[in-house]
Amino acid sequence: MGAEDDTGPPSKRVKGSSFVLENFLRSSSLPGSIVPLGGPMARPLPSQGKEDFIGSKGVIKRVEFIRIITKTLYSLGYEKSGKALEEESGVHLHSSAVILFRKQVLDRNWDESITTLQKIRLDGHVRNSASFLILEYKFFDLLEKGRVMDALRTLRSEIAPLNINKKRLHQLSSCIISSSQRGLIGWANLDIDNGKLQLKLLDELQKVIPPTVMIPEKRLETLVEQALSVQREACFFHNSLENALSLYTDHLCGKDQLPSKTLQILQVHEDEIWFLQFSYDGKCLASSSNDGSVIIWEVHEDGEVSFKCTLKGHQKPVVMIAWSPDGRYLLSCGMEEVVRCWDVDQAECLRVFEKHGLGLLSCVWYPDGKKFFSGVTDRSISLWDLDGNEVENWKGHQTTKNSEMAVAKDGKQIIIMCKETTILMLDWETKTAEPRLIEEDHTITSFSLSRDENFLLVNLSNQEIHLWSIASTPTLVKKYQGHTRSRFVIRSCFGGFEQSFVASGSEDSQVYIWHKQTGELVQPLAGHSGAVNCVSWNPGNPYMLASGSDDHTIRIWGLNRVNLKRKDSLSNGYVNHCNGTAN
Amino acid sequence: MGLIFVETLPGPKVFKCKLCKVDSASLDAIISKDFHGRYGRAYLFKTVVNISLGPNEDREFLTGRHTVNDIYCSSCQQILGWRYEKAYDEGQKYKEGMFILEKAMLMKAGW
Repeated sequence: MGAEDDTGPPSKRVKGSSFVLENFLRSSSLPGSIVPLGGPMARPLPSQGKEDFIGSKGVIKRVEFIRIITKTLYSLGYEKSGKALEEESGVHLHSSAVILFRKQVLDRNWDESITTLQKIRLDGHVRNSASFLILEYKFFDLLEKGRVMDALRTLRSEIAPLNINKKRLHQLSSCIISSSQRGLIGWANLDIDNGKLQLKLLDELQKVIPPTVMIPEKRLETLVEQALSVQREACFFHNSLENALSLYTDHLCGKDQLPSKTLQILQVHEDEIWFLQFSYDGKCLASSSNDGSVIIWEVHEDGEVSFKCTLKGHQKPVVMIAWSPDGRYLLSCGMEEVVRCWDVDQAECLRVFEKHGLGLLSCVWYPDGKKFFSGVTDRSISLWDLDGNEVENWKGHQTTKNSEMAVAKDGKQIIIMCKETTILMLDWETKTAEPRLIEEDHTITSFSLSRDENFLLVNLSNQEIHLWSIASTPTLVKKYQGHTRSRFVIRSCFGGFEQSFVASGSEDSQVYIWHKQTGELVQPLAGHSGAVNCVSWNPGNPYMLASGSDDHTIRIWGLNRVNLKRKDSLSNGYVNHCNGTAN
Repeated sequence: MGLIFVETLPGPKVFKCKLCKVDSASLDAIISKDFHGRYGRAYLFKTVVNISLGPNEDREFLTGRHTVNDIYCSSCQQILGWRYEKAYDEGQKYKEGMFILEKAMLMKAGW
């Protein structure tokens, strides 16, 4: 178009006769240097007959779309393509005034650029802000060259009359006197010969000048990133270690990104399995049974789980096990019996912890891995060190006999049940309870703490699992339902990528997985032939879930590989297709 | 059979399952002592603990037709009584959601 008007071609299109087209072409002044595509006879057609809006929803303005694509082509370095697009579409990226302006800024022709600025249609205050920016750069340019008097003149006769940003003006004047001031207001490293300075100025001008006049840098990339972000947010079943999303298809993890198929059945325990847990690095799994045995399993690189050793010693069913933070030790607690500390590598019992006349109910590590808490049958809590000493015993805030416990805030806080329906957070040092409690309407059977310590998953006797946010005042956030629980302690856990999922056992022999944020139930996993008492999601592998059942087996659940293979080949096909045909 | 979850009542006066001695109901939860079960006298309770429910069944009582679930002690599976799921007679609706425990199945503790 070549017109000074920067709002693009007129929105009114004349549809129809070539006569009108001829006139139109004659009146527009095309610069002679642009060679029309397709040979001398073909003329670049204006958008005659084309819609103003493109896309199925009719919300994308054609002109805007073309301009940002043109901008992207130029910024990627494809000058010829950029020019060709401008020509073929008839939509110019920038008016000639803007092109000239940008060139002058890059060449540091300060005064000329200010003059050109007058030619661009802008609001008065915008023009002043832009002028201020350019003159500021001119000012520092002069100072750097040692032309102090010229700089001062610029300050007085050019910058000051603009009458804006007085504070900045004062800062600039102080720069004349002291060069250290320059550093303070952001002018420390002046790369005079480097083009970076001018690019920085263009960046700042970009913020001031409206985007319709000068298209912002990387606008298309920004839009695409926003779209990917929305897709990522909407991907409920997102359970992937991959960070990059493809542009070819909308990103949506299907439920096939979650463990759904039994990969292995571990049948070594000779009785019901009551507790299991992966180590923190996900390389080991420990399981305990009501026959008093504890088994350690190894998780190999390829995902296979194999038997490592059996730890025997408990005379009662083992109700809880706990991995030390460094994975070297394992604590196990017999029901109202003793706690044993095992060396994982040597597979031997290092020490037995007991209280005369009483039984221990649970074992939870202190974060330093050198001490642990345990509940006692007299409703007190003991803190032990690995040498066998009971460091502390505390009787206040009677805990219930079903001693579930969690440790938070680096050992400063323990989370315990003080009543059948109430969980409280206790400061261990001061032994004062936070006034904020978790109160439920039904009896709590078990609970577990999320890795980031912000959430507590509470299992209730009425077959619901409640998610509480405990970062500040405890708030009930979500409820999960579908599983069965009427007689046993059924455990649940967080898991998956960023712990976005909740898994639980059930008395109907299935494993249940819910999406944590929405509460949506993913397909329950069938396979066990007895109540599933406990589940553990591998912290190092979002695709691996282990479940322990009354049927004496542990099942390792993983991805349904058959489905995945199909998906891969599909996407490969798609890519090939894209390469072969014009899209 | 899995780690059985056993709830304890604050009491002090509670009824326990005669067979396995886990808590079943608190004295405060009694609504009426004037009921009759299979084995003689039975009490109506508002809430009970440590029980598992059987399936819905329709039964005819002296007071009319009701839908009930048999209840079992969750620890030893002994049948202790039933729960009223639904009453078809308007005058009997108050019983819905409440539990009948047979005196013969219970033992007293705390008094």
